[in-house]
Amino acid sequence: MQHFLTIILSLVGVLAISQNKQILYGFDDIPQSLMLNPGSKVLHKKHYGIPFLSQVHFNGGSSGVSVYDIFKDGNDNINDRITRKIFEMKNTDFFTATQQLELINFGWRAKNEIYFSGGIYQEFDFIAYFPRDLAILAWEGNQDYLDYQFDLGEISTTGDFMTVYHFGLNKTINKKLTVGARLKLYSSMFSYRSVNNSGTFVTRLGDENSENIYEHTVESADVSVETSGYASLRDLDGSGQVTSEILGRAFFGGNIGVGVDVGFTYEINEAWSLTVSALDIGAIFHSKDVESYRAHGTYTLDGINLIFPPLNQGESTFPYYDDLENEVEREIPIDTLYNKYTQFRPMKFNAGLSFGFGSFNATGACDCLNPGGNKLHKQNVGLQFYSIFRPKGPQMAGTLFYFRRLTEYLSAKATYTVDSYSFTNVGLGLSADLGKVNFYIAADNLIKYSNLAKAKSVSLQLGFNIIIDEE
Amino acid sequence: MNKILSLPILVVSACLFFTACVQDTNFDQAEDIALTPIVELDLIYFDLHADRFFDTITSNPIFTVRDTTEIRFLDDGSLQESLKRAEFYFKFANSISRNFQVDFQFLSEFNDTTYVAGTFVEQGTLASPVITEFTEDVEGEDILKLTQANKVVVSVTIPSSDENLEGTLNLKSKTTYFLEY
Repeated sequence: MQHFLTIILSLVGVLAISQNKQILYGFDDIPQSLMLNPGSKVLHKKHYGIPFLSQVHFNGGSSGVSVYDIFKDGNDNINDRITRKIFEMKNTDFFTATQQLELINFGWRAKNEIYFSGGIYQEFDFIAYFPRDLAILAWEGNQDYLDYQFDLGEISTTGDFMTVYHFGLNKTINKKLTVGARLKLYSSMFSYRSVNNSGTFVTRLGDENSENIYEHTVESADVSVETSGYASLRDLDGSGQVTSEILGRAFFGGNIGVGVDVGFTYEINEAWSLTVSALDIGAIFHSKDVESYRAHGTYTLDGINLIFPPLNQGESTFPYYDDLENEVEREIPIDTLYNKYTQFRPMKFNAGLSFGFGSFNATGACDCLNPGGNKLHKQNVGLQFYSIFRPKGPQMAGTLFYFRRLTEYLSAKATYTVDSYSFTNVGLGLSADLGKVNFYIAADNLIKYSNLAKAKSVSLQLGFNIIIDEE
Repeated sequence: MNKILSLPILVVSACLFFTACVQDTNFDQAEDIALTPIVELDLIYFDLHADRFFDTITSNPIFTVRDTTEIRFLDDGSLQESLKRAEFYFKFANSISRNFQVDFQFLSEFNDTTYVAGTFVEQGTLASPVITEFTEDVEGEDILKLTQANKVVVSVTIPSSDENLEGTLNLKSKTTYFLEY
């Protein structure tokens, strides 16, 4: 249990990967693969996810640094390591964490051969880009950085906590083409974002004509944080009240959004097939409990200018410090706004090209897994592409995979993924049917599994379903 | 047979997850993490004209002029904990044909003196102002005294003055804060 906790804490603590589920994608034996491509081939007649256990998904990563980089057991000083990393990392490096928990997931094939599926899941998604300049300023100060323009625009982060209600259709159009679509309703419980910021901070050595030794200038600053679901939490008393208020929003009590997933599978010929899907094409409309903060302006600080006014007995001098504070607030005001805003969901795009070989049903016995009559391959190899749209542009990953149907009840998929985190990400997924109960587990970065501290990202999905195959 | 095979594989994969671990790391090092920024920040500045040292109404010299400003960030709790050393730098440009004694008296919220510093400023001429630089390095126990202060009184004392005195005493100053979080 201690190790398991370590894994979870590492996942959460290291912060995490993106939302790539490269092992589950195209793994048609697992009902949840339908969540990654609503147009995937459905091999069963019905499925019921075991409530709260049908998919537990953790995904965490940091593109520029691992726990080991900082906390390794060595003779060098931890602060030197941090300094080195701060300078090595770029402002496009990022930390992400995603967690999903399926509450309900079900599906059935209707008489018209459409496979309907639906469910509810809860999702937490967080990304923060590494604000390199601000990290340097905090870590080193400004003494060695005179005339250097610290970029305030490097602040870029979003976080969302929501419930997603979804319902989808999947239909095999003909022997070659299967299509699907899924409608999603998002019920946002809490959300914030700080993106599209700009401005600089610079300390310049003044010249003879300068008022003082330095000029500390904030130039063209425009930094904002938009929140929804936050303002009303401030007045609540204790974590119990906060938790119950947030959970109360899970059932459309918060801000609502809408989106779709679409996808298809195209069998090019007996061996080759192509799959494509686009997920979360949609937006959340934040109108309730919205509060945003915006600081903007330009200001140069020279210090405090003493006037030495002639004073009579008992008279006070000017309130220099208050005047200075007022001047800063006037020149760089922090406005609190209550404007509605629309937040586009981070759209995900998946594509896969698969080459199948070896007939799985070589014995001639009942082809129980394949009622549609299409040949099931014993093995598949192929490649996949994944991208997710993030505030500073898309993050992409490429995967080579090998899939093998080991027995009628057991199949496995191995993946090798190249992404923003590493070039050595090997993953493995297993799906096992024990009677009607399907269990699956998928994890990546297995090479680093003996020491998770060295992993820059970790991803884990597991779950239980009840699957009823075609008669 | 298939089910027989499934179970061991599941057990093996489950073991894999439960035996994953974090090795060769020492999280106790977190206690050693210290941010040590060195921050350069302007302090006060002024231009004092020579006529400020003579009262034209009473025709009497004014030997000392004073001004006070709050510097509330100095006795802020977090700065008190994290400030390890402060280096004040004062640069005077004097075009008045008198020398000066300039004193900096740091006062607490209750007007108790917590720290004092002062310097002698060389006299100059209108044609060629004289630069006097003064550095006050504060560390150790003195930091505790300094960070009790939230205002500073600046006193400028002239030995003699008359109505014909000309020129300006200019001050620029900054502080280097050596912090540790």
